[in-house]
Amino acid sequence: MIRQVEKYRHQLERDGAVRQGRVALVAQDDLIREAGATDLCRIGRALLSEVKSIALVIGEPWLPFQNLYPLCLAPESQRIAPLDTETRTFLHDIPLVRRHHGRIDWADVAGLLGQRKGVLVEGVGIIAVGSVTVEQGYVNFSTLYHALFVGYLLHLLQDEPRCAEIVELGPLLEQLAHPIPQLLDDIAAGPFADEHAVRKAIEQAGQRTVELHLVDSFFGNISCHVNNQLMISQTGASLDALAGCVDLVPDDNSTTAGLTASSELPAHRAIYAATGATVILHGHPKFTVLMSLLCDEQGCHIADCWKDCPQVRYLGTVPVVAGEVGAGGIAKNLAPVMADGIGVVYGHGVFAAGTVDFRQPLHKMIALENWCRREYQRLLGQKIAGHEKSGVKSGSR
Amino acid sequence: MNKVTPPRNLAGWCGRLLIVDLTHQKSWVESLSADLLHDSIGGRGLGVRLLRDTYQLDPFSAAMPLIFAGGPLCGTIAPASARLSVVSRSPLTGTIHASSCGGAMALQLKAAGYDALKITGVSAAPVLLSIAGDQVQIESATHLWGLPVSNTLAALKPVGGAAIIGPAGEHQVLYANIMTAEGSAAGRGGLGAVMGAKRLKGIQIAGKKPVVVADAEGVERSVNDIMRLLNAAPVIFGELGFAEYGTPALIDLLAQRRMVPTNNFRETFFAETSRYAAPALRRRYQPVSQGCHDCPIACKKATRDQQRLPEHGSLSHFGALLGISDLDIIVAACRLCNDLGLDTLSAAATIAAFSEASGEGIRAEDLPHRLGQIAMRQEDGDLLAQGARRLTTALGCPHLAMTVKGLELPAYDPRGAYGMALAYATSNRGACHLPAYPVAHEILRKPVASDRFDFAGKAWMNIVAENTHVVGDSLVACRFVFLAAGLEEYAALLTAVTGVDFTATQLLAGGERIWLSERYYNQMNGFTSADDMLPERFFQEPGSSGHGISIPAIDRQRFLDERARYYRLRGLDDRGQVPSHFLENRL
Repeated sequence: MIRQVEKYRHQLERDGAVRQGRVALVAQDDLIREAGATDLCRIGRALLSEVKSIALVIGEPWLPFQNLYPLCLAPESQRIAPLDTETRTFLHDIPLVRRHHGRIDWADVAGLLGQRKGVLVEGVGIIAVGSVTVEQGYVNFSTLYHALFVGYLLHLLQDEPRCAEIVELGPLLEQLAHPIPQLLDDIAAGPFADEHAVRKAIEQAGQRTVELHLVDSFFGNISCHVNNQLMISQTGASLDALAGCVDLVPDDNSTTAGLTASSELPAHRAIYAATGATVILHGHPKFTVLMSLLCDEQGCHIADCWKDCPQVRYLGTVPVVAGEVGAGGIAKNLAPVMADGIGVVYGHGVFAAGTVDFRQPLHKMIALENWCRREYQRLLGQKIAGHEKSGVKSGSR
Repeated sequence: MNKVTPPRNLAGWCGRLLIVDLTHQKSWVESLSADLLHDSIGGRGLGVRLLRDTYQLDPFSAAMPLIFAGGPLCGTIAPASARLSVVSRSPLTGTIHASSCGGAMALQLKAAGYDALKITGVSAAPVLLSIAGDQVQIESATHLWGLPVSNTLAALKPVGGAAIIGPAGEHQVLYANIMTAEGSAAGRGGLGAVMGAKRLKGIQIAGKKPVVVADAEGVERSVNDIMRLLNAAPVIFGELGFAEYGTPALIDLLAQRRMVPTNNFRETFFAETSRYAAPALRRRYQPVSQGCHDCPIACKKATRDQQRLPEHGSLSHFGALLGISDLDIIVAACRLCNDLGLDTLSAAATIAAFSEASGEGIRAEDLPHRLGQIAMRQEDGDLLAQGARRLTTALGCPHLAMTVKGLELPAYDPRGAYGMALAYATSNRGACHLPAYPVAHEILRKPVASDRFDFAGKAWMNIVAENTHVVGDSLVACRFVFLAAGLEEYAALLTAVTGVDFTATQLLAGGERIWLSERYYNQMNGFTSADDMLPERFFQEPGSSGHGISIPAIDRQRFLDERARYYRLRGLDDRGQVPSHFLENRL
């Protein structure tokens, strides 16, 4: 278990989700195992003794959401409602525990962790539980981080951020200044000779997708269509650890051994059927996800946009459609707009396809994410400039 | 019948228990307190609670209750939550036995105004129990006694819900099932034999009381949350999932994983599984979906003339376990079991043990005759009717019984999944995959994947899963919804239905208490750590390696180490005993 604890502590730092050195994992089997910042371990140990879970992850995100969300939400608000589809599906909402008279009610935190996958604690950070494995704690932490990131950056564009928020945005502006590199030269070139070569190519492309931060946690999926069958990553598989986690699914469903295939199997199949693609990569690049949530439609009465919006909108030239995960409609809505081999699902992520190898979808996904970064940077710049002007006029808020 | 005022302000529950004494041919209603219902939840938990004073009785004694209990979510829009729990002491294993089944019984029980029905006593002659709201009638069933399930239903034409036994229950076959009118079975532990010992051929029940929920908007919100998760789960609504193919979708997957019990568990791979796997079933029968009441998954499959088709376990045990690959023969054998009221898994496993013990091969064409002999307890059938453990003991080769606590292993070979190995051993009802359902994380990768060939972490995983599924069985929700949703979502749903604040932590703690109560009752009936053990074959003989997958024999020491860890994490002593202080806290 200690190997798992160390592994996922490193992974959270490598993912760039937390400030270096400001994360801890605590796990209990019949012994307590822990790794990470001493003060956070102490909090984790105390909480884990109150919560019926095997693991607890506590960390400070690199953008200090634990300080920013309490500023931007109404004072009485104790819930953060993620707008992105996937986290909405799995988290429903995120509890926010605020300080009262400068103190955190840790019993309240423990109570919430007994009910939910994780919480955001004012001044402390994200705390997530793994009810049956350490890995589950890591997945839940990453999911919360993704939801909080998308939700907060969207708020910066849609609301009026306070000065105290803007001064915290240095690391974000620094990140936006550096586009994701098109590291593709070493990606296996197609067409692939045999099933073994396909597996290796899938593993390599999955690994690169994670390394380039085009997907977090255990989300995302990847497939190749060859010889009338799909080779597709399994549900719950991490794209950077796909060895032994690729299922074979014949087109004619002559076997159901692919029962563990990704929940997005219907979307992959629909895209293959509608296009001449042979490979598909699905990731959740954050800026693409959050930019897909921006909508300037006026007078629209649709409340559940992520599943009910009938429009095809565009990020540059890339189409955006609505649709819920799995059997919830992505396949039906996405396939018809994939003529250029790339499409975005509202608040969810990108499906990118290629006809030869994974260089093509990776290239398209990186290009789109960089476009979204630039666009976000432009819009945020306008917002900050406007804020500075109004701050001069009316004094800082 | 006396009038009973249920506790006030109950939503989700009725606060009423119907008791029927067959010896004295009378019935009455007792109230169930709000505290008792909150603690026990319903279903399995309520059934275990109602056994508190009788759990040491012989399963066939007149005073041993047979309890039918629904749950607080039943009758609401909660998905897959209208199942019934049947609870008593198993004549096959001697353990406390709770069995969950589909059908309309739970819904009608609630509509009649009861949380549970408790049947005691023994009738002098075969009877039928008819319940219509407050009207309870005990009628002669002499004309039905001896009839198979299908003929009984044809004669009865029940309105509402019905649960009946076939000839196997009448003859007290130790693995006789109780069958619902819709073809679901309260299976495994032989509760059909308990019903037969009471000379109760059937129960029919109907009611009209509306179901009240505390917070309709909250219920709808929770249901939407759960449905989104179900939609996102490939095993449920995926193109190869249970909604599409039913549980037979597991057959190809388990063959690929090389963990198909074959020839009485001598091998773990059967080359002809594809002949009766889900695609073959689809080609042969073009099945239609049949769900339990209001279930969105509808995993049951039937022919176009509404003949229920077998599920994964039944197909696999009448297939690979007996070395048979003819789909029509397998389907016919499973149907015959249901018509006779026999548990398919135990029937096939007992025949497999008999075949190995006697050295007689299994001739597929003889199966109908063999099953008939078992149900009627004729010739060899009398011995086979007692299950694999008693059978092999009588034949002088107890090592050939693939059982734990006397219950025959289902269709997942433990050499292919070590959490399953541990779960079979420690289950309160014997070798069963359902209490901890390690299939979820070891095979289906839900909620997270785990290494099926590693014992590390399996004790904790199984404990959390067992406690979770005790809650599920008490709600009474289908196990499959927990492949997608969790107690987080169900606590919110239960809160909205009942108006009582429940959290996942509280529910888990409640589940643990129910589980420990079962364990304690088993302990008082003589069960020890020696009963938490797999058959020797799994430690001595490897499975069928191949296609790059190695299936070695299970490492006994690693198994024992993880079992010891399981005991520690459960708060049991090193002999697996429930500590005496638990008595103060039992359900």
